[in-house]
Amino acid sequence: MDSIDARLYLNLIRGGAARLSAHRQTVNDLNVFPIPDGDTGDNMFMTIQAGCHPSTGSGTGTTLAEMAKAVSAGMLMGARGNSGVILSRIFAGLAKGLADIREAGVGTFSRAMQAGVEESYHAVSEPVEGTILTVFREGVEAAAGSKDLEEYFDLLISAMDLSLQHTPELLDVLKKAGVVDSGGAGLLYIAEGMRAALHGEAAEVLEEVAPAAQHVDLNAFTEDSVLEFGYCTEFLLRLQRSKVDLDTFDETVIQDWLSSHGDSLVFFRDGSIVKVHVHTRTPGEILNHCQQYGEFLTIKVENMTLQHHENHMDERFKAGRKAYGVVAVASGSGLADTFKELGAGVVIEGGQTMNPSVECFIEAFDTVNAETVFVLPNNGNILLTARQAAEMYDKADIRVIPTRTLGEGYYALANLDTEAGDASAVETALTEAAEEVATGLVSRAIRDSGDFHEGEYLGIQGKKILTAGPDPESALLALADTMKAGSFDVILVFAGSEARDSDGVRKALAARYPRSEVILQSGGQPVYEYILVLF
Amino acid sequence: MLRLFTDTDTDITPAVAAEYGYRLISMPYSVDAKTVYPYVDFDEFEARKFYDMLRSGVLPTTSAISKERYIAYFEPEFAAGNDILYVHFSRAMTVTFNAMDEAVAELKAKYPTRQFHEIDTKGITTISYTIVREVGDLLKAGKSLEEVLDWAKTEVDKFAMYFFADDLKFFRRSGRVSGLAATMGTLIGIRPIIYMSQEGKMVSCGKEKGRLKAMERLVQQVADLGDDFKSHRFVIGHTDAPELAEEVGKMIRERFGDDFPIEYVVANPTAGSHAGPNGVGVCFHAKHR
Repeated sequence: MDSIDARLYLNLIRGGAARLSAHRQTVNDLNVFPIPDGDTGDNMFMTIQAGCHPSTGSGTGTTLAEMAKAVSAGMLMGARGNSGVILSRIFAGLAKGLADIREAGVGTFSRAMQAGVEESYHAVSEPVEGTILTVFREGVEAAAGSKDLEEYFDLLISAMDLSLQHTPELLDVLKKAGVVDSGGAGLLYIAEGMRAALHGEAAEVLEEVAPAAQHVDLNAFTEDSVLEFGYCTEFLLRLQRSKVDLDTFDETVIQDWLSSHGDSLVFFRDGSIVKVHVHTRTPGEILNHCQQYGEFLTIKVENMTLQHHENHMDERFKAGRKAYGVVAVASGSGLADTFKELGAGVVIEGGQTMNPSVECFIEAFDTVNAETVFVLPNNGNILLTARQAAEMYDKADIRVIPTRTLGEGYYALANLDTEAGDASAVETALTEAAEEVATGLVSRAIRDSGDFHEGEYLGIQGKKILTAGPDPESALLALADTMKAGSFDVILVFAGSEARDSDGVRKALAARYPRSEVILQSGGQPVYEYILVLF
Repeated sequence: MLRLFTDTDTDITPAVAAEYGYRLISMPYSVDAKTVYPYVDFDEFEARKFYDMLRSGVLPTTSAISKERYIAYFEPEFAAGNDILYVHFSRAMTVTFNAMDEAVAELKAKYPTRQFHEIDTKGITTISYTIVREVGDLLKAGKSLEEVLDWAKTEVDKFAMYFFADDLKFFRRSGRVSGLAATMGTLIGIRPIIYMSQEGKMVSCGKEKGRLKAMERLVQQVADLGDDFKSHRFVIGHTDAPELAEEVGKMIRERFGDDFPIEYVVANPTAGSHAGPNGVGVCFHAKHR
């Protein structure tokens, strides 16, 4: 293979996504903490998958530059979790490196990969070695100077593998947990999948993940509406032996016909399955035509006027625009209500095991409709996504407050005073407030880890497991002791959906710390039986 | 002769009013569209029951009384040849005094020789209670009306009141506290400190973490602003939080000694509708508000 064109590039991405998809769980299991955690495999897969259906077709007219840009745009919007964000930035860097390129030989591709390294390091304010960043950088450095693309991917993968095995030596948390970096592992699977696609190996068919439910306003298309944008038509077609000769069938027959009957064509054959994405005003005609070659596995047809309406709400949201707004991330109905009562305009459902995408944030920014929006991600694994969304959004001044726990977010928001000065002054005040808080978490161990055993309840602060107990309540009391709860004015406890004797624990805390005010709230959050907030 | 009036928003009960000869103007609140006039519709204020209702989520509303009601209070006095001194809650907090002004103007036209005097306590609940009693004390001690009106010109501004509330949703609804910006919801564990300004409005002056810090802040306000407070009434008011109020009293004693009386008063339901339960405040004689 001498060069990569638009079509091959898309196949590489899809190959990478397919291989990662097959190993998602392996990556998910590379978990530092023995409690349910942000699933890196799922996050990275959903991110790369968002780049697999680019807004541009892979027909002969499309350049590599256009394809790389379209793939990158999809990933940037779909990015979830820290690893997902970094992954999207790697491909954004790659797209920058491939700007104006029709087809890339190994030299050009190698330089573009280097641009991917640089962009990925820019994704985080303080790059940490021993992570996906290191694995990718060392792979790209080792592969530079390859004589062809095959050698490039061979060297890339062997160096990434080696680098991945070294991550525990660079990061103590990995060493303690006895795992390699999950993001690096996910990226290695992607690189392997890309190599397989380069060699023409058939990729496993992508597992479809249902897109987040969208609120489509059916009234946007009325009795008098004109069909302006046609239908987004997607289907998987299984070629049938009874209809075509599978061994000799040339799928370009279908592709060419589709090109002349629709726009934005994405066409992809994998064994006997043909995947089609096309925009057309007459979906019935498309489906009838394609059925002569096989039968449908799935079909999706959507009126794009409705989608278009969704995306063009600018005029509507100018009305009632506020000076300041707040977007917070929380899980659990009690916590969501608490943040709303404190003044959050939108609470994005999300947290430890469910990391929202960049797109979720962007929708929230639209909804909150303010000149300046303060964002409280309330989780370390959501921070980068929020920052990426902020960078991509140009309709308001977005300020991400680096809150890493719900406690920090709570206290920051409780101290919000929009009359304290300009947006920067408010941002500083919120950031400082968040730093005053200590947050502890109680969660059940889902596997043995070091001195802790499956089924025990762990008391966690930041990245450290401090205490353990046979039930959530004893773990919480021990955690409160270790965190010197008595030296704080307020001991605020959010009871999760699995908490058992929360009132008993409140009384025990009040008796133990008479000088502190003990407050129990029903947070209803999953994963954490208790969230302990000290301020 | 001079007839004294005050209103139920000053926390004065019929028993205390009787000590000084005040007549009480009843300021109403409404729950579920049912309007209640304190000490007209009930004889004794059942504070626990009322504030428990607020705790359960009921948000009462309050309303101004009509010109006709003022006339009904005042006209019999003018008709009998008496003059009136009305020591009332803050004009700056309500529109009800517009109706009173109309009533007084109408009555003065009808009874041109009669006098109507007023002292604005520039506050509500505890601070007004204190001033109403100080005025009553002075009159009882034989001070003339003129002397009392002169006294009020400078002294009203020398009674300070600082308090904290447990849950700001009550204030949020009425929008009657300035300086509490964007966030005014259920601030769990964080208590804004509010004071009565010289203009007779509630103004926020910071927040404290936890009950203890909030109580300590009240004590510190007394230390910072207090002026000859031991020779004046020292009153701790609360919205059905007697234990907290006593805790504050104990802290005041520890800090300033026990050579002065401390009085405890529960806030009237109309004011309490805006403040919500579990709040505590101190009222004391100060250099300024």
